[in-house]
Formats: sequence, structure tokens, C-alpha cells
Amino acid sequence: MKIDDLEQMESEDLSTLPSAERRRFLKFGLAVTGMYLGGSVLSLASVQEVHAAGVVPEVGKYPYTPHYSMVLREKLCIDCERCKEACVKTNHVPSYGFRTTILEKRRSLGGEKFETTFMPVLCNHCNRPPCVRVCPTTATWKDEKTGIVVMNPSRCIGCKTCMTACPYNARYFKEETRAVDKCDFCLESRLSKGETTPACVEACPADVRVFGDLADPKSRVFQLVHSPETMVWVLRPETGAVPNVFYINS
Amino acid sequence: MKKILLLMVLGILLFSGVLLAASGDVQVKEDYDEETYGPKDPIVWVKPVKSVVFDHKIHTMDAGLDCDSCHDELFQMEAGVAAENEDFTMATLYEGGYCGACHDGSTAFASNTRCTSCHIGVLGNARLLGDGGAAKKEH
Repeated sequence: MKIDDLEQMESEDLSTLPSAERRRFLKFGLAVTGMYLGGSVLSLASVQEVHAAGVVPEVGKYPYTPHYSMVLREKLCIDCERCKEACVKTNHVPSYGFRTTILEKRRSLGGEKFETTFMPVLCNHCNRPPCVRVCPTTATWKDEKTGIVVMNPSRCIGCKTCMTACPYNARYFKEETRAVDKCDFCLESRLSKGETTPACVEACPADVRVFGDLADPKSRVFQLVHSPETMVWVLRPETGAVPNVFYINS
Repeated sequence: MKKILLLMVLGILLFSGVLLAASGDVQVKEDYDEETYGPKDPIVWVKPVKSVVFDHKIHTMDAGLDCDSCHDELFQMEAGVAAENEDFTMATLYEGGYCGACHDGSTAFASNTRCTSCHIGVLGNARLLGDGGAAKKEH
């Protein structure tokens, strides 16, 4: 086609688009947005009543038995990293990755003074895990009995989508197995062999990490997150992942 | 006239500059005498847990303690001796041993509070050594 012929043709830009067509497209877009996001991002309908929801689930509303969870008594952490050492040894974690680590927060107290808080982090074994949802090969899933988010390395194709999806940066790619690796509360290395705690919990000298069955009212984790006048929080609650790792300050 | 004004402004600028530099010098040049106040560098213990810091300056120069407040009854002068003892633990501190002699809640903050004031951890030690790379993640 010659350039002269091209100029003779009807334009296909937006100026020739009938407004009915535009309206139909917009309506379709709004319908899709409303349907898939439940109107949570953009909605022409009124928002549901706002309420201050807590992060601790109501008693009896735990989907698993045992419903394994961990409570971190944050201000007791001294970053001795014995938990990390124990984890590395127990689960053969390479030096370039981690299943659990310690983060440091420094709050200014004015002048040159700082207050340091160490924050242990690990997989939150979410009730609605974004990593599980995105895995194209179902190499990671919620264990039906315990709710632990587990991995099958042989099914993993190393696409790392789960690493991107995880709100907690709790996954790393393990070169040795050519698969993504993550904390499984030591299900494979300890719990399945009759032990009752993960290695990090056992190694902690300051009793920061408390592990147990949240569905059992007699367990320590239950009592810690349900005790009065206790500040309980989770990391990044806004993602809607419903994590099972709780932080308390007492 | 204009030249005089200009010279005056320049003079004031230079003079204030000199003053600022001098005051800066005074702040930097602290009379920390190691003979009087003990070693300048902080002591870091890695046993029984990593890593706990002790700063002589805070205790001697700032808080006004004498050498014999701690040496040699609570701590040997020689560095690292205490860490070799079996009883160099938090439990001993709670019973008034080592740091617990003062850190009892009345003389100074209690040993079972404000953990991270002394426990700087692996990350804090890396910062102290100026080894920023070790504390950060490898890329």
C-alpha cells in the first residue's frame, strides 16, 4: 500500500469511535472491577460499614487441628541469632538464603540516642497464602491437617512467582535443589519425627519464640494472644493473607 | 562606601566561619583520658550470647564511677576473663552478680529490662565494627 492510499482511508483513532461504543466499554470495565474486587478498590456502590477488626481470630474459628502458629515476644529478642544458626543446621539452609532472620528497628529517642528493637521474621503460614495461589505447578500448598505452608521441591519449576507474591519475603531460591525453599515450622525435619517444636524455638535463649496449637485453649500461644491488656499485631495485615505468626509486646 | 560595606560583610562571614569551626573543634576534642576512664573502645562480649556491649565512657566519664567500683571485685581488669566463667549469665546478674550489682532496678535500670541497651546483637556488632556489608544482605 502506498502512503497516498493510506491517507485516503478512514481513520481508526479515537475520534471516529461512537460514544455508545465507549460507554459499552466503560460499563464492561466497571462490571469486571466490581465483580472481581468485590468493590473493594473502586465501586459505585456504598462501602460496607467500617469497623476496627483485630488480627486475632475469634476463638473456635481455626480451620486446622492442630492449628500451628508462632507468637514472637518481640522486645525480648537480642539478635543473638541462635535461632538462625539452629535453622541453618537443621534444615540445611545455604548462606545466601534464610528461612528465618532477624530485622532491626531503630527508633530515635532524641539526640544521638536510639532504642533498638529486633524483629524475628519467618514464613507466616497464612490462612490465605498468596504464594500458594500463584504457584503454577501446585508445588506449594497448605498442609490439610496442620495448615503449614509446605513445598515439594521436585514439583517446583523455579519460576519464583511465589517469592514475588509473598508479602513477608519468606522464600528464597535454593540453588542446590533448583527449587524455592521456605520455613515449614520444621515439619519435615522435626515435627514429623515426633518433636514438638521447630529448631528456632528450641534454640532461643530468651524465650522469644513460642510455638503451638492455636486451636487448643490450653496452649501457650493461645493464652498469649488471648490474654487481656496485651498488644497483639501481625505484619502487613492489609494484604489480607491472614497470617499465623503473631507479635506481642509483653 | 560600597567597598567598605562589602568588606564588612565579608569580614563578618569570615569571622563567623572561624567561630563555627572553633566551636566544632571543641565538641570533637573531648578530653577522654584512657588512664582515668578506661579503654575508649567499647567492650563486646560474644559469650555466652552474641553480642553484648559495655562502654567505659558511659559508666566512668558520664556516670562518674571509679575504676574500683567494678575492678577487680566484679570484673577482672584483664579483658575477656568474665566470659570464661560458668556463671557469666543473666541468672547471675539477677542475683546481683557482675553488671547486676548496679543494674538492679534502683541504682541503675534492672538487668531484666531494656534488653537491647546492652544486647546489640549480631547486627549491632557489625555496625560497631563499621562492617556495613556484613549486616546487609548479599546481593
